[in-house]
Amino acid sequence: MLTTRLKIGIVCPYGWDVPGGVQNHIRDLAEFLLAAGHSVSVLAPAIDETSLPDYVVSAGKPIAIPYNGAVARVLFGPVAFSRVKAWISQGDFDLLHLHEPAIPSISLLACWAAEGPMVGTFHAAAKHQKVIYAIGPILEPAIEKLSARIAVSEAARLTLTNHLDTDAVVIPNGIYSKRYANGKPQDKWLGNTIGFIGRFEEPRKGLHVLLDALPIIARFAPDVRVFVAGPGDPKDVEKTIDPQLRQRFEFLGRISEEDKADFMASVAIYVAPNTGGESFGIILAEALAGGACVVASDIPAFESLLGGGEFGALFASEDSTELAKTIIDLLRDGQKRQVLSKAGKDHAQIFDWDVVGDQIFSIYEMALVGGEGVTLVSENRTWNRLLSRDEDKK
Amino acid sequence: MKTALLVILIILICLWYLSFLATRLDRLHHRVETSWANLDGLLQRRAAIALEITRSDFSDPASTLLLTSAAYQAREASVQDRSASESALSAALALLIVDGPIHATASESALLDELAALTTKIKIAIAIHTDSVSSTQLVRKKLAIRLFRLAGTAPLPVTYEFESDAL
Repeated sequence: MLTTRLKIGIVCPYGWDVPGGVQNHIRDLAEFLLAAGHSVSVLAPAIDETSLPDYVVSAGKPIAIPYNGAVARVLFGPVAFSRVKAWISQGDFDLLHLHEPAIPSISLLACWAAEGPMVGTFHAAAKHQKVIYAIGPILEPAIEKLSARIAVSEAARLTLTNHLDTDAVVIPNGIYSKRYANGKPQDKWLGNTIGFIGRFEEPRKGLHVLLDALPIIARFAPDVRVFVAGPGDPKDVEKTIDPQLRQRFEFLGRISEEDKADFMASVAIYVAPNTGGESFGIILAEALAGGACVVASDIPAFESLLGGGEFGALFASEDSTELAKTIIDLLRDGQKRQVLSKAGKDHAQIFDWDVVGDQIFSIYEMALVGGEGVTLVSENRTWNRLLSRDEDKK
Repeated sequence: MKTALLVILIILICLWYLSFLATRLDRLHHRVETSWANLDGLLQRRAAIALEITRSDFSDPASTLLLTSAAYQAREASVQDRSASESALSAALALLIVDGPIHATASESALLDELAALTTKIKIAIAIHTDSVSSTQLVRKKLAIRLFRLAGTAPLPVTYEFESDAL
């Protein structure tokens, strides 16, 4: 077994100070590796370079580009490329861990520039298949340099096998399940309550599906209340709510991690009506760890996370009638809710960082076999080697 | 004059492309070697654990006999016999784990836990290895690579049969 301290370089493609699942994952991973005694350097684009953690190196300001149906804050270009190269050659890393190397970003640049043990993690499940077909041949020489590939979900793995002809090991995103395990039920959230967390203004988060379902639910459960947490301005959404039901809604704004744990322990049902664009669904893992009874749309990521319905109820995506039926059934049947939330809470342990971190580290060990550390491709070119030798002589 | 320059330019681009392909292929061969070295090391450790299990009270004499011979064969197999002997070891270990006694002492269950952890790793190592082999095979099918013999004398990497049924 490797017990030596490793020097690990992690590349984050998206702006560090922009909220996002990939960034959270990298932060938790870096902190897990640091706690295990390794030295970690994260290269990431950053808007505000002054307020970064010690282990993050800024690669410059990210630019917003439309990609895969959303706006991605990434960075590339000649200046970024030279910064990536400098980071690699100064870092003297044993291993590089590149996140999302298949999108135009510093991860891809690092994959081009570096040679040696490299691990890539693929987060997204791409929707636009034609685009991938077109860029596949360009990406191939870079992607095939990775010693091992990780996909965060079965959906992300399928995208890889279908479009880039390569396989990946599925390792889920991690959560600190202990942070959610001991939430205390709060009176204000108890009763016939439904919880929702997320950027509710984005249509793909599916709040409108829940809104459409509510009139039906309210007919069978007149005292139902809905709590919506997450960043955003509720004014526009409130306009679309039936006036008779408006007082059933409460917008909590952004809530803290501790509040989130209490929230999950309190609400009768946690709903994730997302309509797509989700490759893992970390919020569902957190909801399960917090002991919530989960109802989610049957998009591929959620279906596999919930074990096809074993750890939470599923409904046909965008079908508000079926969502209403599912919620009414569960609100009436307290025992069924308990069974589901118990099963879910037990299952959530596989997402704990203790488990996930070890799995990722064992992939590192496999990538490190026979490795001599990470070097720059350009340094290894024959003529460059000859040139630098000449310089040494002088 | 102009055409001569153009021809030289085209030849240079072709040469650059060929050298690019050769580097790419070399890197892939290297990847296959490391992924195999990793898998090989894990398989050797599995054989060692199998031998340790035979020395504990955990297994009955018949299983001990089967497992010992399988483990030794897996350790000393030549390249041709490797696949068959690893399959045999997988089968012998599977028998022991399915039919084995439930009363294991602390040290024996520690051994079994180690074996289970190793099996998971072997599965991942196999996935990584077969992936590196298949991408190498794909690149070696390219016309330019076959035409200019860019693979040199390196043998075409293959996957073994045992890799599809290892536990």
